[in-house]
Amino acid sequence: MKNILTIIRKEFARFFKDRIMIITILIPGLMIFLIYTVMGTVITDKASSDKNEKFSAYVINMPLNENLNAGFDALIEIKEYSDVDAAKADVTEGVLDLVIIFPENFDVVLSGQASLVPDVGIFYNSSKTQSQSGYFAVSGLLEGFKNPSFSVNAGGNADLIKERDFVGGILSNIMPMLMFALLASGCVAVAPESIAGEKERGTMATLLITPIKRWQLALGKIISLTCFALLSGFSSFLGVILSLPKLLGGAINGQTALYYSVGDYFMLLALIISVVLVIISVFSVLSTLSKSVKEAGSTIAPVMFLIILCGMFPMFLTNPAVGLYSIPLMGSGLAMSAIMTFSITPLAFVLSFISNLVVAGLFITLLSFMFKSEKIMFNK
Amino acid sequence: MEEILKVENLKKTFKLSRKQQKIERISQPVKKAVDGLSFTAYRGEIFGLLGPNGAGKTTTLRMLATLIKPDSGNAFIDGFSILDNKDEVCRRIGFLTSELKLEDFFTPAYLFDFFSDLYGVEKTVREERKRRLFAKFGIDRFAEVKLANLSTGMKQKVSLVISIVHDPDFIIFDEPTNGLDVITAKVVTDFLQELKDDGKTVILSTHIFSLVEKLCDRVGIIIDGKLIALDSLKNLTAEKNLEEVFFELYNANVAENL
Repeated sequence: MKNILTIIRKEFARFFKDRIMIITILIPGLMIFLIYTVMGTVITDKASSDKNEKFSAYVINMPLNENLNAGFDALIEIKEYSDVDAAKADVTEGVLDLVIIFPENFDVVLSGQASLVPDVGIFYNSSKTQSQSGYFAVSGLLEGFKNPSFSVNAGGNADLIKERDFVGGILSNIMPMLMFALLASGCVAVAPESIAGEKERGTMATLLITPIKRWQLALGKIISLTCFALLSGFSSFLGVILSLPKLLGGAINGQTALYYSVGDYFMLLALIISVVLVIISVFSVLSTLSKSVKEAGSTIAPVMFLIILCGMFPMFLTNPAVGLYSIPLMGSGLAMSAIMTFSITPLAFVLSFISNLVVAGLFITLLSFMFKSEKIMFNK
Repeated sequence: MEEILKVENLKKTFKLSRKQQKIERISQPVKKAVDGLSFTAYRGEIFGLLGPNGAGKTTTLRMLATLIKPDSGNAFIDGFSILDNKDEVCRRIGFLTSELKLEDFFTPAYLFDFFSDLYGVEKTVREERKRRLFAKFGIDRFAEVKLANLSTGMKQKVSLVISIVHDPDFIIFDEPTNGLDVITAKVVTDFLQELKDDGKTVILSTHIFSLVEKLCDRVGIIIDGKLIALDSLKNLTAEKNLEEVFFELYNANVAENL
């Protein structure tokens, strides 16, 4: 244990006293605003692309204007409700797409004879694609009839989504991929330098003639590298959470972090650590096989792509079978997504966590054997 | 005399690439780097391994230091096998070679502490030893300067000091004066003599005759991986100087292989 700590202390000293190393590892976090912008655009495009079906709506004070009625017939399927609050509740739950409230004198308004400027209320739920599309469609339709005599949603607060679902929906899509990319970039910044770099510079051989056991050296390196990669991951994750309200244009009130319980955060932390352990152990093995930092970088690049791909699975798998959670890395991506949407089950969490630990353990064992191989350690 | 090193029929081969086969004009894809080496070193002596480049000296020393494994044969340091008791062997030896580098990001003081920890040296012992060795080699003024900013000679001194942080009884020096200016080389050779005076055993690999003549008690001459002569320096140089003896043996060996 003492030898492992000695190696960890040395790796920490090497890392924290090197400004370039620290900057390299923190750069991915600084890039986060850029990535968010791209992701935000993709989400908006997706929301506005689906306009095929009629939108279900509860309409109050439907005007008699023929042109407007013809337009509504093409877009809207009218639903009946006993009161407006029940209809709004259904919009929130996703049962109903819209609640549209016209002012009582709207036909007068359309004829241009009203003296006041009344408001048309269109209540919708932006977490539901159909509801949001309906909002755009109806407000677009009204735009054609618009004259200075009325406005739409002048009072604001018409989106009836539960804020928590809104945030969770977005995070579940982008968080796993973003997290995997950031963690992997943190790992790639430190693993080749620490192992292939030491081999290349001849400093690894100096360690190998000391009484330290090879597995202690391997474990000391892995633990240190995991800490550095986690540091990078945490700073980036913090950036994700803190910049989310800004990204959404003030749609939420900066309370994102409060929607998740301590248990959610614990599971997320455990998954992040296990994911980093897997990535670092895989990168360490590849670095050990490489003769130089440059070669290690080239070998790791395609593997890094595969790792990021694992984080993208939640975008395509809406209801994954529980068995998929036991696939290392990919299962963690699915589990992170499920945590974000408040739908994680204990079994899914345990499967994804344990599978990562098993794989990391296998790679660390492999690394210990590789450290004993003179062909691998002294290949030039 | 007490045996501290016993080498028994050590053999080591390396695979050669086709390109390397052409360069060395060898038809076989394997090169015998060390071919059945056996010798003994005694406590308190300086044992010289003399031979040209590529003779197998460094490969032999790397096997003794447990960096690489022999294909066959064994060696025992203080009774511990290099094959079966790697940790015990590592605790008992110091190894200085240009192949083993130190991280030039760190300072001599940091590296001394780090390697002392790996060898399990007590803190109080470490501090006293560091102070003494740093003062002896003039490293004390550069103790907190990164290795990257030190001269070649000073780096070599630091490497030497780091190789003996655990005060081993058995020390292997592979070409210790290579690339050093005459002043630094003198410091190193004087230190080897001091180690001997302190009762340490030194294995010195070199191709510099004068160094062997100045320091060694016994000499083994290696050519093409084989030990072709082993005797005390006094007996070897009874009639001719070491250089003449070496070339006589070398020419005879080369002629035999033609």
